[in-house]
Amino acid sequence: MTISLTRAAVVEPTAPEGAVRAAELSDAPRTLVRLPTARSGAPTRRGFRGATGPSRLIGVGLLVAIWEVAALLGWIQPQDLAAPTAVLSTGAHLIANGTLPDALWASLQRVFWGLAIGVPIGAALAVAAGLSRTGERLIDGNVQVLRFVPIIGLESLFVLWLGVGETAKISMIMLGVMFPIYINTFAAIRSIDPSYGELADVVGLRRLARLRRIVLPAALPGFLVGLRLAMAVAWLLLVFAEQINASSGLGYLIVQAQTYFQSNVIVVCLACYAVLGLLTDVFVRGLEAVLLRWQPGR
Amino acid sequence: MTTAVAPERATVGIPSDAAVVVRDLRRSFGHRDVLRGVDLTIRGRQFVALLGRSGSGKSTILRALAGLDPGAVGELYVPARRAVVYQDPRLLPWAKVLPNVTLGLEGRDAAGRGRTALEEVGLRGHEDDWPKTLSGGEAQRVALARALVREPELLLLDEPFGALDALTRIRMHALVVRLCQLHHPAVLLVTHDVDEAVLLADRVLVLTEGRVSLDLTIEIEGPRLRSDPAFGRLRSRLLAELGVDEAGEGARSAPDTPAAPDASDATDARTADDLAGPLQIHPPSEQEIPT
Repeated sequence: MTISLTRAAVVEPTAPEGAVRAAELSDAPRTLVRLPTARSGAPTRRGFRGATGPSRLIGVGLLVAIWEVAALLGWIQPQDLAAPTAVLSTGAHLIANGTLPDALWASLQRVFWGLAIGVPIGAALAVAAGLSRTGERLIDGNVQVLRFVPIIGLESLFVLWLGVGETAKISMIMLGVMFPIYINTFAAIRSIDPSYGELADVVGLRRLARLRRIVLPAALPGFLVGLRLAMAVAWLLLVFAEQINASSGLGYLIVQAQTYFQSNVIVVCLACYAVLGLLTDVFVRGLEAVLLRWQPGR
Repeated sequence: MTTAVAPERATVGIPSDAAVVVRDLRRSFGHRDVLRGVDLTIRGRQFVALLGRSGSGKSTILRALAGLDPGAVGELYVPARRAVVYQDPRLLPWAKVLPNVTLGLEGRDAAGRGRTALEEVGLRGHEDDWPKTLSGGEAQRVALARALVREPELLLLDEPFGALDALTRIRMHALVVRLCQLHHPAVLLVTHDVDEAVLLADRVLVLTEGRVSLDLTIEIEGPRLRSDPAFGRLRSRLLAELGVDEAGEGARSAPDTPAAPDASDATDARTADDLAGPLQIHPPSEQEIPT
């Protein structure tokens, strides 16, 4: 009896007090916030949209303008760095006399063959290692060890084995692009949701169909990330290979220009690298837009 | 892939009309015995619901019958053509709807059969859609089409309505019933929703501590209405077997689960529907919700 009375005494005072507070709160005047809404018919934009189209080049244009002004004012000496207008006229000249197109063609061929051989090999190794334990044991260790050997350091060996011809240069690019392709594709294969494998069991997919219908499409996003990295690596190795020993190509042109203090030619070649790198990136982006249009959020 | 499945039916003692025969099925994960000797026979065309609490091993039985569990011990006899529908639709996101339905299907008319299956689930015209554009209910109907296009003799449903909203679930219930009448496979529906089991199944099994603890044949004539007293009695019986106090005060103290018994039982009960004729949603007064 005493106990229940004590309990009541504890509980009771709090209840009405709480009720009063709630009533006070509900009667208090509120400040309402008006949320931003769209005008009817106006296109809705969700989230942050990156700059698209030509507007992305505003920054580049500004930098070139400052560079030109600095050259005009004599802050930059022509033998150190040629002005943009000088570079343009040099470029036009080099195109007219065929030097630049020849060099570009030679370089493009090297990059093309390096990628054309290296990418499939990297992808095939990744599939082999990704799908079987034996494959992983045989391949993955080797790749992981080789990965930490600077490819540029292998140039001497390639020259020793293959001479100074095209084969050595293409081989180096080929080897270089294999790694990003392999690593990204392998990781993508290994991270495929196992429930798809179970689905394949349930619907009775055979080995080849499984590869074609599940493994390859699932690994495609990873492969394309690898491809983008591979493109960058290819251009990097190309410059290096061509500057060491070559009688054609953009790198060769740069070395020649260096000998004769032609900074304008060097800048033209560097600009070519930049544009080519940009173009390959746009190419892979386009590839992603088409091949990965099934992805949510695209 | 398939566990202990005899190549033919010559084995002694298997009824000729059986679609599934399970004898002394056992499965342990580490030191935990999930299945401790399950015996089960499902006749052809029979719709069996398997109820159990979370972790009772109901999905383990389903996986074993699908041939997906190499660690299952015992005897399993299942038909060659089996199909599974999971709680998630599990569509390949990189394939359009039609190739998802015909995945693994062989033969020249695969695409035609796929189209027919899509039509049956009410998704004609969606053949070339990407899965990402489908709603949850549509995706699950594609998964159903993918299962039915194989003309399975055994259809395994692993909580296929679990992730759907209440209204979509009502439609799906009716769709599944209609399709089962059309294709008449034997069905094993794994669920923790008592009402769903009573509404859909010919027979309800309750799995408790690794064994079938209750095996009820449902004999409610005609349309199954929740307002039917027989429905209420059945459901009380099943809830009791599952360790739920129908007064709604929570769990009878169960040995392994001191907390509330799988809250979804209570919420799911709201959403199940009656299968009488055209679809209708009943006013709350007609529903007997144990809360």
